[in-house]
Amino acid sequence: MYKVRLLFEKLEPACYTSHLDLMKALQRSLRRAGLPVRYSEGFNPHIVLSILIPLSTGYRSVCELCDFELTCDDMPPDLVPRLNRVFPLGLRAIHAGPAVRPVSQAAACEYEIRWHGVCCAQQVLTALSDALCVEKRSKRGSKQVDVRSYLKSFDAADREGDTICRCVVQAGEDPLNPAYLTLALTQSAVLPQDVATTYTRCAILDANGKEFF
Amino acid sequence: MNNQLAACLEHVKKPSRYTGGEYGSIVKDKQAVDVRFAFCFPELYEIGMSHLGSKILYGLLNSMDGVWCERVYAPYVDMEREMRARGVPLYALESGDALSSFDILGFTLQYELNYTAVLNMLDMAGIPFYSSQRPELTPLIIAGGPCVYNCEPVADFFDIVVIGEGEEVLPELIALYRAARSAGLSKKDFLRRAAGIQGLYVPSMYEVSYHTDGTIAAVAPTGGAPAVVRKRVIADFDKAYYPESFIVPSTEIVFDRAMVELFRGCRRGCRFCQAGYTYRPIRAKRPETLEKQARALVDNTGYDEVSLTSLSSSDYAHLETLCESLVSDFEPRHINLALPSLRADSFNLNLMENIQKVRKSGLTFAPEAGTQRLRDVINKNLREEDLQNACRVAFQAGYNGVKLYFMMGLPSETDEDLLGIASIARNVLQTFRENARNRARGVRISIGVSTFVPKAQTPFQWCGQIAQEEIVRRQQLLMDALKIKNVTYSLHGWKASFLEAVLARGSRRLAPVIEGAWRRGSRLDGWDECFDLDHWTQAFAECGVDPAFYANRTMGKEEIMPWDHIFSGVTKGYLRREYDRSLQGLPTPDCRISCGGCGALSLTGGKCDV
Repeated sequence: MYKVRLLFEKLEPACYTSHLDLMKALQRSLRRAGLPVRYSEGFNPHIVLSILIPLSTGYRSVCELCDFELTCDDMPPDLVPRLNRVFPLGLRAIHAGPAVRPVSQAAACEYEIRWHGVCCAQQVLTALSDALCVEKRSKRGSKQVDVRSYLKSFDAADREGDTICRCVVQAGEDPLNPAYLTLALTQSAVLPQDVATTYTRCAILDANGKEFF
Repeated sequence: MNNQLAACLEHVKKPSRYTGGEYGSIVKDKQAVDVRFAFCFPELYEIGMSHLGSKILYGLLNSMDGVWCERVYAPYVDMEREMRARGVPLYALESGDALSSFDILGFTLQYELNYTAVLNMLDMAGIPFYSSQRPELTPLIIAGGPCVYNCEPVADFFDIVVIGEGEEVLPELIALYRAARSAGLSKKDFLRRAAGIQGLYVPSMYEVSYHTDGTIAAVAPTGGAPAVVRKRVIADFDKAYYPESFIVPSTEIVFDRAMVELFRGCRRGCRFCQAGYTYRPIRAKRPETLEKQARALVDNTGYDEVSLTSLSSSDYAHLETLCESLVSDFEPRHINLALPSLRADSFNLNLMENIQKVRKSGLTFAPEAGTQRLRDVINKNLREEDLQNACRVAFQAGYNGVKLYFMMGLPSETDEDLLGIASIARNVLQTFRENARNRARGVRISIGVSTFVPKAQTPFQWCGQIAQEEIVRRQQLLMDALKIKNVTYSLHGWKASFLEAVLARGSRRLAPVIEGAWRRGSRLDGWDECFDLDHWTQAFAECGVDPAFYANRTMGKEEIMPWDHIFSGVTKGYLRREYDRSLQGLPTPDCRISCGGCGALSLTGGKCDV
């Protein structure tokens, strides 16, 4: 038995695949690759697979992590290229290794947010120098939060006719979807309504700010 | 992906149906191909991607040198709105190129209620609707699929309609197109040559004249077109092209699994069933061929389910040996076999238990009618004891649910026949109580009742659909009768069935009506939330067309039908004999017991794998 952790990219067009559909796509890819994956027991056997930190549909990512189990004791050395041969367009395996650290040690995610066709980095930074409140909804109801309390760091710059913000956002128990930052900035009139926005997850970090794997 | 498209995708549900890039989709070098074919499915992605015929033709066309076939589906309402607002034309999923840049657009006509989607897709591509408005050879707009057996309502939109099996005739059509293009032929000259190929129907080469009462006076071929267009079929089905891989969608579709096709055609001859007549003669694949194809598909797609499809899978002669062999291979790999289209009278529990070792699915049977009398009229040669017997065996084995499909409004139907549906449901419930392994778990009996739609090229093609008020009355009668414990039922809305009946037996006079309904906003008429009969009612009025003339009228024995110049292989004389037998309540034995001489043998020179 070997528990694999896979680091992979999810870019266009795979970024439009939803979380559940991605699970299925990964399971099918594992079968196509002919890897000796472990199935669940019981009435409806399926490949045991988990995606560590779900990503919203439409978001790009260069740092997705998923775990699955092999029935053999060692990881095939060609696992990454074998997966890449059978992945749908936009998915690319980068690295695989033993799944050791529990997901609870993933403390934050770094995102790049690109607001298209605007030039407002300075206004964004100014808005973030003070409390920036927004209504955050979750399964347990909604509450008013200060977006800044979720941001471990942030920066913004204007480039190529867009405003690009890089920020490290709290993950774990009480995560914040970076779309709330766009929403808060729209509500405070820093960003125009319906601004075209691209989100890219750049890294998953542990409590020390080091890359989590 | 361009920014405009990305902006559309930000605002729609299920964006991955519009992106392409699925595993198995085929991308070729544009510079290295000379024929670009857009396979257009006038339905949503999840429906179109489930369709086996498209997968076969996609694979076949892409296996041809110099041909690149791509897929196009109808966008849902939200995506259409975004695309139109941003000026994004309809595009093909593989290249993202606008539909207007293709050489050939091939629409598959699976269902009459998709017709407005055809127009909407043409409109979103900026292509004029009528063949006569497109003087150039390119783009060529063609159609195929089951609706071609009466495609007269949409005939004016298409340059060519493929009658029969696309695998057989499309390569010839493409060769002719290539030759015509390099010779600089006009569209008219090209079409004239196309009409000389068996299975290619060129609607513009037929002049239809009408009597004052709206019935057809004559359908006159012009320019040397044949008086009757004969269906093309594959003679050696076992050797026919079959894809070794499917496109594996990145989002859930309706039938998300590998499929192999046991046989084409059906020997049962249910008189309402269009496929049962138009796919004749019966041609089966050898079990070894099917095993090979199933294994290749599983290996190449990563699917964990393989469906053994056909019109009546329990009629496949080698079903047990095929299943045994596949199960022994697939079970250890956690791959499930699915066996849809089973008949209750040939239900075999050993077989079901054997194939469903991995995952147990539900049981579905289609008695179609509530009494033996009516089942004889429609030639559904199924006795209620066969059904109850199948249910008994299944309940004893631990099944605790069954779905039963029926039709209402069948020719000669009485209230007694309708109440028979409820009586069958009660008897199944009783069978459960007497035989269930575990009664405490309870039973779920689901009854689905659709409204009968008479179809062209069937023995019931002469029949009118019952009037709307009568449908409503009978549905109410059924709803009252089906209030039974443990029984759930669903009745299809009559409005869509009525429109389907109009279009299924309609003539060319309906083309402007379809256009009128589209102009009023009809798009995806097969979807309840999109369908609005008012659009159609207004369009009928605007064009001076009485829909009841097509839907509800019983046609005369000598009358020329709008589709008489399309020959499916089954003769009109045979259909009439079957119709007359139905009026007498006489069933016809299935083709294995004795050949009824339907005529389809003329297409294959005498070969029929009953």
